[in-house]
Amino acid sequence: MLLGYIGDVVKNQAIAEQYLVAVFKDVPNELDELTNEDVNTFCHLQSMARKKLSEYFVSTAYQNNGKSENKPSICDNKYTQQMTHEQQLVFCGVHWYGKTITSLATELNQPEENIRKILKDCFTIIRSSN
Amino acid sequence: MRTQEYIESGILETFVLGAASEQEVKELLFMKAEYPEVNEALQQLEKDIEKLARNLAVEPPSGTWYKIAQEINAVIPHQESSPQVFNRKNDRERPDTEKDKGDQYIEVEGSSSHMRLHKAWRWVFAGVFILGKIFLAFAIYFYLENKHTQQQIQELRTEIRELKNKK
Repeated sequence: MLLGYIGDVVKNQAIAEQYLVAVFKDVPNELDELTNEDVNTFCHLQSMARKKLSEYFVSTAYQNNGKSENKPSICDNKYTQQMTHEQQLVFCGVHWYGKTITSLATELNQPEENIRKILKDCFTIIRSSN
Repeated sequence: MRTQEYIESGILETFVLGAASEQEVKELLFMKAEYPEVNEALQQLEKDIEKLARNLAVEPPSGTWYKIAQEINAVIPHQESSPQVFNRKNDRERPDTEKDKGDQYIEVEGSSSHMRLHKAWRWVFAGVFILGKIFLAFAIYFYLENKHTQQQIQELRTEIRELKNKK
């Protein structure tokens, strides 16, 4: 599951595997959190992966900004296919491209509250789909 | 009413996707501890994320676990949270600066002179002991048998000698 997420972010199987190994290398330092009943293990591992990927997020954002044509931050899967273009930009931007709510608000020229609402609608779509 | 507004605001979704600010995280952790409905909503979102991840899961290559195990098993310098260094008798004599170094290693060599063996060895030892007793019994039996035979031979020789003398 985690490899799938990292792979969708970095779009390279070998690099994704390196990130996965790096994440699991840190597991002994996070055992207290990971064994806590109140903590969702996968979500915590994903959060650890996001921290590892933070530099990657910054570098790709920098590369995209440097180019004349900005690639839209969209991932194609059965859940995002059910979302509107705006919802795709927000959900994929946050989940797979590591964008902040503030940067998305600026990008889409909308208040942060709206971005959060859009994100909420995206989760409703994921929950309701099979 | 406030909790419902909070849940509807989309902050929980922002948190689950790791995009919440420090202030938002602090507030959310407080709300989660204080209001069970916030905690429930958060758990539901975590399930949604798991559902998404499960659907997009990829089978790791066969060697991945070996790589992870190698990384974890590699010698890691001790940190403050690690178990304390084993106290040897001369540990007190070592200077404090040496003790406090972060790059110490756990002493794995035990001070006890005893050896621990697997329980299966007890049957091996019992077998060796019984075989030893059997060999000892045979040795005593054959020794006595041999002694008795020697005596009989000696007696027969004496009888033959006496018969020769009579003739």
